[in-house]
Amino acid sequence: MRTAIMIALVVLAGSTGDLLITKGMRQVGEITTMRLTELAGMLRRIAGSRHFQLGILCMAVSFFAFLAVLSWADLSFVVPATSLSFVITTGGAKLFLKEHVSMLRWTGTLLVCLGVALISLP
Amino acid sequence: MKTAIVLILAIVAQTAGGVILTRAMHRVSASGPDQTILLLAVKTIESPAVWLGTALLIGFFALYAAALSWADLSFVLPATSFGYVLNVACGHYFLHETISPTRWAGSVLIFVGVALVSRSGVRAVDPAFVELAGPAKEPE
Repeated sequence: MRTAIMIALVVLAGSTGDLLITKGMRQVGEITTMRLTELAGMLRRIAGSRHFQLGILCMAVSFFAFLAVLSWADLSFVVPATSLSFVITTGGAKLFLKEHVSMLRWTGTLLVCLGVALISLP
Repeated sequence: MKTAIVLILAIVAQTAGGVILTRAMHRVSASGPDQTILLLAVKTIESPAVWLGTALLIGFFALYAAALSWADLSFVLPATSFGYVLNVACGHYFLHETISPTRWAGSVLIFVGVALVSRSGVRAVDPAFVELAGPAKEPE
């Protein structure tokens, strides 16, 4: 039960982090320049974005929960279980970021999720 | 094209960073028995390979976040999973690791999955929001 709760935390915090970071990056706008001064200005705006900061915090929570669960569970169980995050994040992107996820993209994402699970098995 | 270049660089940085960090940390821990945590920490900080690996992983995150400023998260996330396949290939060719049939099968599934996702376009706006957001455009 403890393992299930921690894996759910790894997946949900990681997916929320990805969604918030995407939201923050969208607010700052598309990066089109390669000039250092303009990039530095963008970097300041990204670092100041509340969504981006919360996203980084969620990513950190996910990472430390991942480390914690590895202290008692096998990597070959934890990584396949957390590969569910591909599907959860894609669902979140459709729901919260209003991305259009076509059948083709869903199929590809499910194959990636299954592939990552298989690749992590011993 | 811009998306492909940025994501390929991100995947290469992530894989190289992971391999370099793993090797460096193995070397640090194998440099002597009965080391204190403090000594391990000092050796880790002093290792140039640890800094290089960390810099590459920071580079990966910067490229990943940059791609998210113009491309869909539901595109970028599965696309970067190609790094798993690259890791298996690097382990096989450079570290001479034995790869089980299950891992090869997983690599093939990821390869096909990424191929399908990449055919779905970089930015696909929900048709219900096209009027609000304007038509989806692929960056040059």
